[in-house]
Amino acid sequence: MNTRFTLPVAGLASVLAAAALLASCATTPPPCNSPTTKNLSAAIDQVQTELLNGCEAQFDRYYDELLTIAEGDPKPENKRAFSEFLVWSKDQGLLSRRQAERYYNTYFNVKFVALEGDYNNCSHSCPRRDRVYLEMERELNAKERGLLKVSLDNDGYYRANELYQEVELVLEATCTACAAR
Amino acid sequence: MNWNPERIPAAALLACLALASADAALAATVSNKPDGPTIRLFPTTVVEDLRQTSTVAREMETGLQEVIGRLDQQQQLYIDSKCEGAEDDPGCQRMAKQLGATYLEMLAIMEERLPDMEHTVNNTRLSLEKRLRSELGNKMTPWMLQETLLAGAPEGKTAPAPKLRGRSGMRLSERFKQYYQLVSTSGSRSDQSLAVLAADVYLDMEETSLLIARTREEIARATVMEQVNQSFGIVTPEMMEVVGGVKSILFGETGSDIQIAGPPPAQVEQAYTSPLQY
Repeated sequence: MNTRFTLPVAGLASVLAAAALLASCATTPPPCNSPTTKNLSAAIDQVQTELLNGCEAQFDRYYDELLTIAEGDPKPENKRAFSEFLVWSKDQGLLSRRQAERYYNTYFNVKFVALEGDYNNCSHSCPRRDRVYLEMERELNAKERGLLKVSLDNDGYYRANELYQEVELVLEATCTACAAR
Repeated sequence: MNWNPERIPAAALLACLALASADAALAATVSNKPDGPTIRLFPTTVVEDLRQTSTVAREMETGLQEVIGRLDQQQQLYIDSKCEGAEDDPGCQRMAKQLGATYLEMLAIMEERLPDMEHTVNNTRLSLEKRLRSELGNKMTPWMLQETLLAGAPEGKTAPAPKLRGRSGMRLSERFKQYYQLVSTSGSRSDQSLAVLAADVYLDMEETSLLIARTREEIARATVMEQVNQSFGIVTPEMMEVVGGVKSILFGETGSDIQIAGPPPAQVEQAYTSPLQY
């Protein structure tokens, strides 16, 4: 009598335990470990492995960590390493081409991604001038990191800095002229 | 905005004198270019307006320079005679009156020249305004503007561009030199130089227009105040400030902008171009 009652309870308990175990397996996120080496090339290999193992949502963090590692050993070749990493990410479907371009050009190109736009300055840039300046300023910080601290491209960074100042000056004058219509 | 009427003449003068160098350089930029600008920022009418402004500004500058020289001498004499703190001394009062009279002379020159200056500055400002709105405002996207500003500057070889804005405290002849340097390198980056120059001059003109208008409103009051001071033989701190300001504009005596050395130029090893690069 007693055994007949105990048996289904025990069975039910084990079924529940198994279900809980399976559920926990299904929701456990991958560890998404940070690269453990200070060598950029090796770090990129580690990051690529993590990204392919379900850590694609951590792409921003990994990119930032790779930049930090590269800052520890700055050299012009780093530019190529980042470009190749981004092309690989695009090929793996982790990033769209546009995203890959933005990641690269924000950090390693003199030109400002913040100045993308299909409409004329009077109608597009001027009404949101402050936002444009703010985005350019942020991007200049990124370029300082990518061009100057990672790639040792001093000239590139100074050109970007000069461009930032010139755009600000010319846009200021242009927008004043647009507003005086 | 705090507006000290007695300081207006110095501020206006600063802007006016800056114009003299700016427009002379611009006229030269355009005439020195064999191909002509791709962006039509400086058609003949604008260049002509600039030339006219230059003439008027130079006349004003010349007229003021002599008075400033006298003010300088009188001020030095006043200081050397230890008149500060000895205002009751009859000799010092006489010197203060002479100084005040020269100051009034300076105000009178400005009053006489300012209407012409205002007219030509406004003409130039309006012409430039129209060109900037049309060429850079309506015909260009922000991306095109960026490409224009970058065009002509070869990668990895940036010529140190002269600082355009904020010319106060710099010797007048140095300003001319800077503009001429810009003109001499403009062949390799024409549109960029033209766009930046046009923007720079236009913003200067905006400020100048405003300053001239305000100066004209206040100059009569400043003159009356100085005439009152004359009867007491007082050298006011404001007057000394104006004189000091004008001196700094003409002779660049306040050059206190300490320049910190920039980092050394990078090694030329930037041949790599990413397939992701714009």
